[in-house]
Amino acid sequence: MIQRVVSGILLAGMSLLTAQILTSAQTQEDATQSWRLASPTYDLSFPRDHAAHPDYRIEWWYYTGNLFTREGRRFGYQLTFFRVGVDPNPVNPSQWTVRDLHLAHLAITDIDRGLHRVAERLNRTGVGWAGASTDSLDVWNEDWRATASERTHRLQAMDANQTGRLRLDLRLDSDAAPVLHGDQGFSQKGEDVGNASHYYSFTRLATRGRLEVDGEAFDVTGTSWMDHEFGSSFLEADQAGWDWFSIQLNDGTDLMVYTLRDLDGRADIRSSGTVVTSEGITHLKSDDVRLLPRRRWISSVSGAAYPVVWRIDIPSLGLQLDVSAAIDAQELVTVQSTGVTYWEGAVDAMGTHDGVSVSGEGYLEMTGYAGVPMSSVLR
Amino acid sequence: MTLFRWFIARSLRQQPLRSVATVFSLAVGVAVVVAIQLANASSLRGFSTVMDAMAGRTSLEITAPGVGIREARATSLGWLRDYGRVSPVIDADILLAPVPGVATEQFEVVRLLGVDILSDRPFRDYQLVNGETPRRVTTQEFLSLLTDPYAVVLTDQFARRYKLAVNDPVTLLVGDRIVPLRVAGILGEEGPASVLDGNFALMDIAAAQWALNRLGQIDRIDVRLTDGISIDQAEQEIATRLPDGLGVRRPERRGAEVERMLRAFHFNLTALSFIALLVGLFLVYNTVSVSVITRRHEIGLLRTVGAGRSTIVRLFLGEATLLAVAGSAIGAPLGWLLAQGAVRLTSSTVSQFWVASAAQVPPLSLEMVGFAFVVGVPLAIIGAFVPVREASRITPMAALRGDAALEARNRLSRRFLVVPVVLFVLAAWFVRQEPIDGLPIFGLLASLAVVFGAAVLMPAVLFGFRRFCGGAMSRWLHVEGHMAHANLGSAIPRLSISVAALAVSLAMMVAIAIMVGSFRETVVYWVGQTLQADLFVSSARSSPQGSVISSETETLISNHPDVVAVDVFTTIDVNYAETPIVIGAGRFEVLLDHGALLFKAPDNGPAAMATAVGVDAVVVSEAFSLKHRVAVGDTIVLPTPQGETPFRVVAVYFDYSNDRGLVVMDVGTFARHFEAGRPSGLMVYLAPEANPDTVRNELRDGLGNGRPVLITTNASLRREVLQIFDSTFVITYALEVIAVAVSMFGVAATLLTLVLERRHELAMLRLVGAERGQVRRMIVIEAGILGVLTHGVGLVVGFVLSLILIYVINVQSFGWTIQFHVPIVFLGQSTLAILVATAIAGLYPARLASRFSLRDVAGFQG
Repeated sequence: MIQRVVSGILLAGMSLLTAQILTSAQTQEDATQSWRLASPTYDLSFPRDHAAHPDYRIEWWYYTGNLFTREGRRFGYQLTFFRVGVDPNPVNPSQWTVRDLHLAHLAITDIDRGLHRVAERLNRTGVGWAGASTDSLDVWNEDWRATASERTHRLQAMDANQTGRLRLDLRLDSDAAPVLHGDQGFSQKGEDVGNASHYYSFTRLATRGRLEVDGEAFDVTGTSWMDHEFGSSFLEADQAGWDWFSIQLNDGTDLMVYTLRDLDGRADIRSSGTVVTSEGITHLKSDDVRLLPRRRWISSVSGAAYPVVWRIDIPSLGLQLDVSAAIDAQELVTVQSTGVTYWEGAVDAMGTHDGVSVSGEGYLEMTGYAGVPMSSVLR
Repeated sequence: MTLFRWFIARSLRQQPLRSVATVFSLAVGVAVVVAIQLANASSLRGFSTVMDAMAGRTSLEITAPGVGIREARATSLGWLRDYGRVSPVIDADILLAPVPGVATEQFEVVRLLGVDILSDRPFRDYQLVNGETPRRVTTQEFLSLLTDPYAVVLTDQFARRYKLAVNDPVTLLVGDRIVPLRVAGILGEEGPASVLDGNFALMDIAAAQWALNRLGQIDRIDVRLTDGISIDQAEQEIATRLPDGLGVRRPERRGAEVERMLRAFHFNLTALSFIALLVGLFLVYNTVSVSVITRRHEIGLLRTVGAGRSTIVRLFLGEATLLAVAGSAIGAPLGWLLAQGAVRLTSSTVSQFWVASAAQVPPLSLEMVGFAFVVGVPLAIIGAFVPVREASRITPMAALRGDAALEARNRLSRRFLVVPVVLFVLAAWFVRQEPIDGLPIFGLLASLAVVFGAAVLMPAVLFGFRRFCGGAMSRWLHVEGHMAHANLGSAIPRLSISVAALAVSLAMMVAIAIMVGSFRETVVYWVGQTLQADLFVSSARSSPQGSVISSETETLISNHPDVVAVDVFTTIDVNYAETPIVIGAGRFEVLLDHGALLFKAPDNGPAAMATAVGVDAVVVSEAFSLKHRVAVGDTIVLPTPQGETPFRVVAVYFDYSNDRGLVVMDVGTFARHFEAGRPSGLMVYLAPEANPDTVRNELRDGLGNGRPVLITTNASLRREVLQIFDSTFVITYALEVIAVAVSMFGVAATLLTLVLERRHELAMLRLVGAERGQVRRMIVIEAGILGVLTHGVGLVVGFVLSLILIYVINVQSFGWTIQFHVPIVFLGQSTLAILVATAIAGLYPARLASRFSLRDVAGFQG
């Protein structure tokens, strides 16, 4: 979803720049015209569309997952690569000219120890120190990299910081075809033509590999979720933030739902979702989903009150879930880069599906609860 | 203490002129030493300060020799991130005008960093102020400021100087190209913006590449190691992993290289400054001598009432110390003031802009004041030693009887002949020794041996004067001359030290005058021989880097009907044997046809040079050959972008433009090894019948305002070379003027001593009918004789010293062959000036002497 694009950009601490660049880009008619707009006539085709789409302004590859050691120790992880177009036709022939910016974000939650570790990368293409291939899924930022061949994805990222090394080296496999959101992967967002994106996911990727947190390494297996989305348009200005869920249940059901909150705190009418079951794929409209925040956790850093326990109710599918954060403290405060503060982390889900009790894990993202108001950031 | 106050302090107060003169002279001596130390230190310190600010938190930097790193190679250097953060950098000195367009003289040299702000934040601190209150902007804001290809961020200091605001246009001059830029932001005083008087500019790396015409190249890659990684280990590992042609080093190493480059220069300056101290030493000797002599009677009395010898020694050493403390206290700040001027001169001597611009005299530190005392006080005590010993030997009886003031033997001792001979032989041996670590230690030892030899020889000279010149003196200067001769003759032991000291300082002046004169003659000859081109084309303003002549300009010039040949000159800076050198490239064929290098070796230089075309062979400058012990036929290994490459040396030529050493190759050879950029200058040869001024004007018109190049005719370039030369050597003369001024005090003080010693005799003279005028004349003649003697000795010793300077010290420090040449006019003028000055110096003692009457003396003798 385009909203997720926005949130992703915020994640990597980019929004202010993007906003400024976009503002200036919009004043230059021809520059705006140069980015291709998402179109309902565009047919997603694979593996072609796993690769980068430099004609579009915004693109991201997004991996989250819940992983376990043999002893049952649990970790959450997130690795995201963003490409944000800045100037489609730069006049300066230098290789260092900023046509695109590449951002990446790595986060690992060590649930048993209650730790949340974060690292980020922000680079221009330059001499190829960051980039995304147009031939296949191959996106990298310094030595962080995501590649895919056939149905196997490889993720590699490493960061050395004060608390020790943070590292991911994972292999993700899926036999299933990608799930297309919206109308055949065309996700209409706003009133205007082209205010849309192309969006698909791998909702359940069997994952194994190695991760390292605070210098301690673990062999892990688990389940991941992958999103790929590209487009050129942006959010409307009156949104305050959003809440987004991706959940894999033990009965084989995969669920993605989100809601946008407007400045008054109301859910936006464009909230929606997708549910994948053994019977097929169901696209949800905002009427279909009810999201109820329950317990709030107050961050001592930002003072924001995040709903870390939720009730998700989808009556049409007989699905009722209680979702709660694996640990409360999964907030990111990007003081240095943008001042944008948000919450992103691993969650547990428990509930009933068609009267049968189910459980599962997933990821939750909440923005607009603290820091710079989204509407001002994104305009 | 009471005794000291009564005995010493009172007399210092009663003789204010002498005390002040001594304190001042000491102060000048100390000041010169302090100034040179400060000047030396500040050129390096200034450089380090700038370097530290520019390097920020860089631990290691990756560089390629001369031409920068090709981007294609940088792509494969991603593994550098295993060691920490990485930031590619464009680093250049540029010319920036605070107004649009080129019709301005306001270009300033500005240090430009072109960075990828996304990578650079961990390395350097930038604070964007933009006229509001300072605040730390986010990386993203910063980037959005810089992504405009014409954006430049300037410092607050620079913006204030030219009343620039955000969005104002400024102009960048790159060689003969004008690049319009826009002020995108203003930096507060932090990091790189806090040095260089605000002459710092920040651009995006892409914009900088484009503006400087360096697409595809970066100057270096900075690496900031992750905490916990050992810098030694990282440096070693990176060095082995880097491909050929790339090197890794610590930023502070650049400081060491510059230090090495300046070392010989600083060493010689320091040596020179100690001459001033020698003179100071001599002055203290004089003052304390006068003090002792005038109070023989009182010393005797003190001894009579029970004062021991040690009390007398303490009293007079106390006096010397008091003078030294006062002198040092004044000398330290005076030296700081002198250093301000000296730094400017040092800077113009040192050919590197980035050193020059960085040189700033540090505020006078407590250490420097301490240094002044450490130099001044022991010096004064040493200077006072001889007269103090003399004072302590005064027996009560002798003093009261009024025995001869000096008990020294009044005939020539043999050791006054043996010691000089030994010293001269030593000097002869010293000059044959090799330099130590590039420093002319033995050359300076030889100079010292000559100086001390001459000093010890002084009594012999004076005895010679007494023996052989008496008749002439009487004949030409009548009775006053006769008397003066006799007076001086009888005071040889006392005079020897003064005359020697004086002669030494004059000798130094003579030596330096001869050396500079010879150097100048040599340069004039060299310029005449080698500057053969009719027109020289260079960037409109001499820019240290990036000043290139575009191919359009070259074509336009080549196409002029009167132009028969165009030679190019390209230079890059590289390190050879860890010392900066310059690699130059020119069109050897044009140079052979039209130019005229002066070859040192082999005999047929042009033929040898012709063989260097098309192969890996070079011609090196004499300075390079001497410094790195390279001769014709040797092979030198130069760093190139492809790695270390051997080059055969086919010829050595004379060059006085660069003391770092030049290695010159044909443009073809250069292009094969170094990515050939555009040349930094053109040398244009015209048809014989063409008028250079006319062609120059025609070319000037043809190029128009859009191509701001400087076209200089041969004649004006020669003039310019000599102007630069002369301004460079002003400092040497300035130092010598100080030495001569100090010497004048010396003559006055020496005569004062003699006059005071002879007051009884002088009074007697008046009694037997000598007129005041006659006594005055006699003393002035004595002063004149001292002047002639000292300057005579000074000339001879100076001549010898100049030979050492030219043939030993200069060759070892700078590697230049200088043709010996005596600047007759300058020496004639200074001889006259010194004789007049010394005669004038005799006026005060003369007036004093003419006032003695027997009554004063009798009362004293009473």
